[in-house]
Amino acid sequence: MSSEIWVVADLKIDGSIRQVTFEALSEAKARLAAKFGGPVCGVLLGANVSSLAGELGKYGAEKVYVVENETLKDFNTEGYTIALSELIKKHQPAVVITGNTVFGQDYFPGVAARVGAGVTMDAIEVDATDDKKLQIKRFSHSSKAIPTKLFLDHYPMMTTVRPNSFKAVEDPKTPEVINEAVTIDPGDIKTKVIEIKAKESDRPELTEADRVGSGGRGLGSEENFKHVYELADILGAAVGATRAAVDAGYCPYDMQVGQTGKAVSPNLYIAIAISGSVQHFAGMGSSKVIVAINKDPEAPIFQKCDYGIVGDLFDVLPPFTARVKSLLSQS
Amino acid sequence: MKILVVVSQTQDTEAKIKVSSSGDSVDTGGMKWIMNPYDEFAVEEAIQTKEKHGGEVVIVSMGPARVVETIRQALAMGADSAIHIADDSFADIDSFAVGKVIASEIKKSGEFDIIFTGMKIIDEESGQVGVQIAEELGIPHVSLVSKVVEIDPAAKKAVCQKEIDGGHMVVEVQLPCLITCPDAMNEPRYASLPGIMKAKKKPLKEVPVADIGLEEIGLTADSLGKAGARVKTVEIKVPEIQRKLKIIKGQDEPMVKGAEVESAAEELVKLLREEAKVI
Ligand SMILES: Cc1cc2nc3c(=O)[nH]c(=O)nc-3n(C[C@H](O)[C@H](O)[C@H](O)COP(=O)(O)OP(=O)(O)OC[C@H]3O[C@@H](n4cnc5c(N)ncnc54)[C@H](O)[C@@H]3O)c2cc1C
Ligand SMILES: Cc1cc2nc3c(=O)[nH]c(=O)nc-3n(C[C@H](O)[C@H](O)[C@H](O)COP(=O)(O)OP(=O)(O)OC[C@H]3O[C@@H](n4cnc5c(N)ncnc54)[C@H](O)[C@@H]3O)c2cc1C
Repeated sequence: MSSEIWVVADLKIDGSIRQVTFEALSEAKARLAAKFGGPVCGVLLGANVSSLAGELGKYGAEKVYVVENETLKDFNTEGYTIALSELIKKHQPAVVITGNTVFGQDYFPGVAARVGAGVTMDAIEVDATDDKKLQIKRFSHSSKAIPTKLFLDHYPMMTTVRPNSFKAVEDPKTPEVINEAVTIDPGDIKTKVIEIKAKESDRPELTEADRVGSGGRGLGSEENFKHVYELADILGAAVGATRAAVDAGYCPYDMQVGQTGKAVSPNLYIAIAISGSVQHFAGMGSSKVIVAINKDPEAPIFQKCDYGIVGDLFDVLPPFTARVKSLLSQS
Repeated sequence: MKILVVVSQTQDTEAKIKVSSSGDSVDTGGMKWIMNPYDEFAVEEAIQTKEKHGGEVVIVSMGPARVVETIRQALAMGADSAIHIADDSFADIDSFAVGKVIASEIKKSGEFDIIFTGMKIIDEESGQVGVQIAEELGIPHVSLVSKVVEIDPAAKKAVCQKEIDGGHMVVEVQLPCLITCPDAMNEPRYASLPGIMKAKKKPLKEVPVADIGLEEIGLTADSLGKAGARVKTVEIKVPEIQRKLKIIKGQDEPMVKGAEVESAAEELVKLLREEAKVI
């Protein structure tokens, strides 16, 4: 085992690096580097990704391993699994981290099984013991509990980390770039991406947003969701929804926040016509400030929010939005 | 087609969660055990696949005697037979060992076309066993599938849609493969009364630990418990987030009405700016 701590870059559909990568680099530097006595390194897997090495350096990566391969142009499970497993076997890092995105969830457990590592998912804290064992905290039991998980004698120690859990702090380095050739046999690729579509949106992404406005079943229609979008746009917020709203067809599935959907922990979460189910709270219960607008005084959400108005959203939201707008335009 | 569903039993997390006196696990005394909700979607998807293409649905589950109840529920929904990997002593088993043992029993059960699992179990919430089973079996997987668009048993392929951060993606995968199921991909059926009656007679094979052949898959009896795990829980906390609970209500009835609406909106904006400092 070397003493290196690796952060595998999480790429967006457009090929840019996801924020969670920088957060993980910073946190690895702050919490793990001294304990393991090794450098924090970035890993780039993809096609035409070498040019991104400098960005990882900006957040403290001292080395960047790069695998350039046409088969990695779009994310595909087997390609990523092969490439990362080969790198791990060759260089034997102590710790390997990536974001708990849809992609991270898809290939990290498989890589761990392949290289014989221990793995945890969706960490909200990372740390290490004095004898160089990774120790993380995560959520369990529909996010009602927080277990601390300690890694035992298997290397490397791998974990995904929840986006928006750590601060990305610039710490500019000029990383040494190490190009690694990995052969990926096309015959080993048994999943083929036949369509990949980015949603056109100028709004921030849910998992990265500082503020989130969310709508529930009480919105009543897709058309009525405009009230949520309007408020969100004034606040520069991302827009989320409950499963009931998604099921009813008011908005697309990728807006779902909760146990199944996205996990968010913004500074401000505004829940509009949302009852406050356990499953919804599993995805937003750690938000700093929760605001509820609901017409039912008995709605469970009023037992677990900071501020709220008991009222009809169609009465309350327009004047609330107008006031937020005028306040923000003054400052 | 031979369709497998890997089904787990979980603690019902709607209940209040208490930490046990040892401090490193959740107190399960008095908790309800249910079929993992995500696995209900997996069972439903399997049954629909069988209804469309013919074949059989086999349930595979691992855990103590109590999980038989969950297995019966899956059989009552319409699955044909089940394999129960049984042992009462693995409360500290880690996800890795679970995946390995289940994969090895699947291998022994012969050829299959497709495996469905849940995306995660709602108590432990690791979300890794499905993918690890696929890796152990050396078959491709598609995780978090929001819609199985098409299965073509003759051409040995399936087309699945999955939602990704900031968009969606359609994937074609070769069979045999494994699919992990989030919610909302279908509507799980309830077990009918005749279904429940029939389930009692459906074949259920018990596999005791002694029959697993642990050494052949690189495990020992030890590695199934805490001693040999790769990752263990050393502490568990149930945080109580103290919320402010400042709820603005109407004078005569709970809902704000008429002129109250404007002042409620104003008050809320003020609280968010001056007290919470978030806008
Ligand atoms: C396995 C599983 C996974 C799940 N995963 C998720 C998940 O990831 N995310 C998720 O959100 N849910 C999830 N759910 C579903 C969850 O259990 C709830 O059904 C869902 O969150 C309810 O959504 P809601 O609050 O919009 O709807 P409801 O519970 O129907 O609440 C609607 C609310 O709107 C209020 N309302 C109605 N009209 C108005 C009005 N005009 N003005 C003001 N208020 C109004 C009502 O008073 C009510 O409180 C999951 C369920 C299961 C079984
Ligand atoms: C209090 C407690 C007691 C336990 N006691 C025992 C015991 O005595 N014997 C024992 O063998 N295990 C026992 N377990 C382990 C438990 O059954 C699960 O296998 C384990 O919690 C898997 O968690 P995970 O988060 O890794 O699953 P995830 O990776 O989140 O699960 C994903 C999917 O994998 C499949 N899956 C996961 N586990 C199983 C399973 N066991 N059987 C079938 N499919 C599964 C399901 O499709 C599930 O949706 C116990 C767990 C707890 C919390």
